[in-house]
Amino acid sequence: MPKNTISLIEKILYSVEKPGRYVGDEHNQITKEWDSVDVRWCLIFPDIYDIGQANLGLAMLYQILNAEEHILAERSFAPWVDMEVELRKHQIPLFSLESKQSLKNFDILGFTLPYESIYTNVLNILDLAGINIRSTDRRERDPLILGGGQACFNPEPMADFFDAFAIGEGEEVSLEISQVYRDWKKTSSPRSDLLLNLAQVPGVYVPSLYDISYHPDGTIANMTPIQPGVPDKITKRIVAALPTHPSKFVVPNVEIIHDRMSVEIMRGCTRGCRFCHAGMVNRPVRQRSVEEILPVIENGLNSTGFEEVGLLSLSSSDHTQILELTKKVHDNFHDRKLSFSLPSLRIESFSVDLMDELKELKPGGGFTLAPEAATERMRAVINKPLDDEDFYQTVTRIFENGWRTLKLYYMIGLPTETMEDVDAILQAGIKVYQIGKRLIGKSVKIHLGIASLIPKPHTPFQWLPVQSPQLIQEKLDYLKAGTRRAGIKMSYNIPDSTLLESWLSRGDRRIGSVIQTAWEAGAKFDAWGERDNLQIWRNSFTTNNLDPDFYAYRERSLDEILPWDHIDIGVTKRFLQRDYDWSLVGRTRADCRNTCFSCGILDAFGDQRPPETICYWGCP
Amino acid sequence: MSDTPFRVRVCYSKTGNLRFVGHLDTQRLFERALRRARLPLRYTQGFNKHIRLNLASALPLGFISSSEMLDFWLDESMDEQEIRQKLQEALPVDIRIIELGYVDNLLPSLQGSLISSDYKITLPEEETGEVFQQKLAQLLAQPEIPVTRREKTLDYKPLILEHSLQAVSSDNTIVNFKLSSTPGGNARPDDLLELLGIDPADCVIERVGLNFSSNEG
Repeated sequence: MPKNTISLIEKILYSVEKPGRYVGDEHNQITKEWDSVDVRWCLIFPDIYDIGQANLGLAMLYQILNAEEHILAERSFAPWVDMEVELRKHQIPLFSLESKQSLKNFDILGFTLPYESIYTNVLNILDLAGINIRSTDRRERDPLILGGGQACFNPEPMADFFDAFAIGEGEEVSLEISQVYRDWKKTSSPRSDLLLNLAQVPGVYVPSLYDISYHPDGTIANMTPIQPGVPDKITKRIVAALPTHPSKFVVPNVEIIHDRMSVEIMRGCTRGCRFCHAGMVNRPVRQRSVEEILPVIENGLNSTGFEEVGLLSLSSSDHTQILELTKKVHDNFHDRKLSFSLPSLRIESFSVDLMDELKELKPGGGFTLAPEAATERMRAVINKPLDDEDFYQTVTRIFENGWRTLKLYYMIGLPTETMEDVDAILQAGIKVYQIGKRLIGKSVKIHLGIASLIPKPHTPFQWLPVQSPQLIQEKLDYLKAGTRRAGIKMSYNIPDSTLLESWLSRGDRRIGSVIQTAWEAGAKFDAWGERDNLQIWRNSFTTNNLDPDFYAYRERSLDEILPWDHIDIGVTKRFLQRDYDWSLVGRTRADCRNTCFSCGILDAFGDQRPPETICYWGCP
Repeated sequence: MSDTPFRVRVCYSKTGNLRFVGHLDTQRLFERALRRARLPLRYTQGFNKHIRLNLASALPLGFISSSEMLDFWLDESMDEQEIRQKLQEALPVDIRIIELGYVDNLLPSLQGSLISSDYKITLPEEETGEVFQQKLAQLLAQPEIPVTRREKTLDYKPLILEHSLQAVSSDNTIVNFKLSSTPGGNARPDDLLELLGIDPADCVIERVGLNFSSNEG
C-alpha cells in the first residue's frame, strides 16, 4: 500500500474503537518478503479480530502455509462498523494485518466459514476489498476466492460468491491448491483453466462448473457438471493422521474472546448424537497421544506466555488416554499458575474425576453438562442416552467436590417433543438446584442454556422441518416463567436467529441472491444478533420470489435431492436415513467405537488408515 | 521461596503500532512477556492468581513514549543483566527496555507518587510556532480552562505546569508541556490540543518523562 495511504490509516486509527485490532505486529506473527514467494494467501475470518483471532483452524493453516518457502499467508478480519465507515469514506481498500497489503493484491483469499450467520460479512469484505462479489463477475487476475470450514458442507447458499470451496479438512488440500495456483500463475492461461484444474483436486468444489435444474415445486431436479472431468460428487478431505500441532501461536495485543492457547486433542466423535452436525461431518475420530500433546502445551506456553489452555475436542471424556493426560497436565504444569479448560465432558462420575485433576488449575470455574433432553424417551430419540439416576449422581458429585456453578444445556424443538418433555427440563433444573442447595447452600448457581433444534444438513434429522416460532416461543415462555419462579438463570437463542440460521444452513443455490439482496439492504454481522436484520431477510426472500418457509418449515421427502447431496462426507445418506427411522421409534445406537454400524466412513477412507502407532482412529 | 520478594523497576519506551494498544492490553502484554521470559515471578495471593505487576501510569491510546515505568516482583534474586536480557527478548520490538534494576520494597507505589508527566508534541506542518504560541497565550490568559471528559469537568489552568517551544529544526514545530498527573488532576495533552483547534491525530505525542514526588528518589 502506498506510504500516504499507510499514514492515512494511522490517522484513522485514532478515531476508531480498539485500533489494536487492525495493526497486527503481535508476538509470533509471521512476516515474509512480499516478493520472495510465488503464492500469497490471505486467511480471512469474516468477523472482527476479537472473534476470529482465536480460531484454531486458521492458526493451523497459518503455520502450514507459512512453513512453505514459496508461500506466504497473512491474516485479515472484518472491520467493525466504525472502521468500515472510515475505510469507505477515505476509499481505503481492506488490508492484511501483516504487510498492510490491499486484499486485492493477494493470490488467494481463503475465507473460513465456521457458521452461517457470517455469510453477509463475506460479501462486505469482498466489497471493501474492491473485488466483485459474484464469482462470474471477477476479472482474470482477481484473487481466487476460496471457502472452507464447517459450514461448507452445504456450500450452495454461498456458491455464487466463491470461486472454489475446500470441503473437509484443509491441512493437506491447502498445499495442493497452492501448487495448482502456482503452476497456473506461471502460464498465461485464463482464469477458467485455473478453476478447471482446481476441480480435479480431490475435495475441491468449483460451483460454477455445475448446472442445477429445479422441479416446478421448487425441489432440485438435477445437478450435473457442465464439463467433462468435473466430478459428480465431491468427497470431503480428511488427514489420515492429525498433523503436528502448532505451538507458536500469535499472541493478540488486544483482548479477544477465548484469549488462550487451544490444543486440539481429538477430532471427531463416535457418539452419534442425531442433531449434531459436527459429530457427523468430522468422522473418523482421530486423536493425539499424550506424548504428542504435552510438548505442544510446553512449547506453546513458552512461546506465547498464555495464562490459559483449552484442551479441545468434541467429547473430551472419549479420549482413550484422558485420565493420564489430565494427571500429567497437572504434574507438569500445576506450579505455573495457569488455568486449563476441558470442554464437552460426558455426564458420568468419571468426568468429575477428570475435572478434579484439573481443579487446582482452574480455580473458581463452573461445571458444564449437556444432557440436551430431560426425559429418557427424548434422549433415545436424539441418541444421547443417559439414565436419570446417573445424571443426578454426577450432579451430586459435582457439588460434593466443591463446584458451585453448574451450567446445563438442553434443546427444544426436537422431533416427537411434547410439553411434558419441555416441562421435564424445568423439573430437572429445579431438582438439580435443590441438590445443590442441600449440599452447598444458597450460593449455588444453576444456569439453563436452551437452544432450539435446527435440523442440519448431513445429520439424521436433515429431512425434518424447523419447529414453528410460535411453538418455540410458547416453550421458551413456559421455561422462562418456570425458571424465574425457581430462581434459576436461563439463557436461550432467540427464535429469529434460529430462523436465519435455518435458511442459510439448509438452503440451496438460490439463497445466494437472497444473501446478496440482504447485504445490499444493510445486513451484516448477523451473528451479533443485536442488529434487527430479520425483516431485511424476509424482504430479500420476497424480492427474489422465494418462500422462506420452503427452506425452514417443509418436511423434506426421503427421495428428494437435497441441496448438499453432491457433497460426500463419507457417511452415507442410507445410514442417515436408517438412523432417522430409528430415531422416530426411539431406538438408540451405541457408541460406534466398539461396534461398527457401517456409516460409510471406513468405505470412503479406510484405505488411508495409518497404523495405530502413527494415529489412533476411533473406528473398530 | 523467600518471603520478601525482589522488586524490579523497568523504564521502557513504547512506540510503533503498539501505540494503538491501550493500558489494560499493555498490562496483559507485559504479563505474557514476563511469563515467556520464564522469570521466577511473584504472584498475587488469592483465588485468581495474577503476576504482581504495577504500571506507573496509563499511556493514552495513540501516544508513544520514551519513559514509561513499571514494577514487578520476583520470588528469587537474579542478575539484573540477565533479567533485562530475558525480558527484552520476550518483548515485542516496539517496547525497548531503557533501564532495569532492583528497587527498595519500601518505596511507595509508582502510581501513588506520580505527580506530573512531560510531553513532547510534534505539531502538524501547517501549524507554525508563532501561531501556536499566540493561541496558547490566549488560552492561558483565560481565568479558567474547563475540560470535560467522561462527564467530569476539570480546570486545566492549574494543571499546565510548564510549556515551551523547542528550537525548530525541521518543518514541524515541536512543543513541550509538563502536565499534572495526580489522581485528582490528570491533564491530557490531546485535550489541550483540541482546545487550541489542533487535531491530535495530526500530531505525534510522545511522553518523555514521568515525575514522582521527592520521597521516590
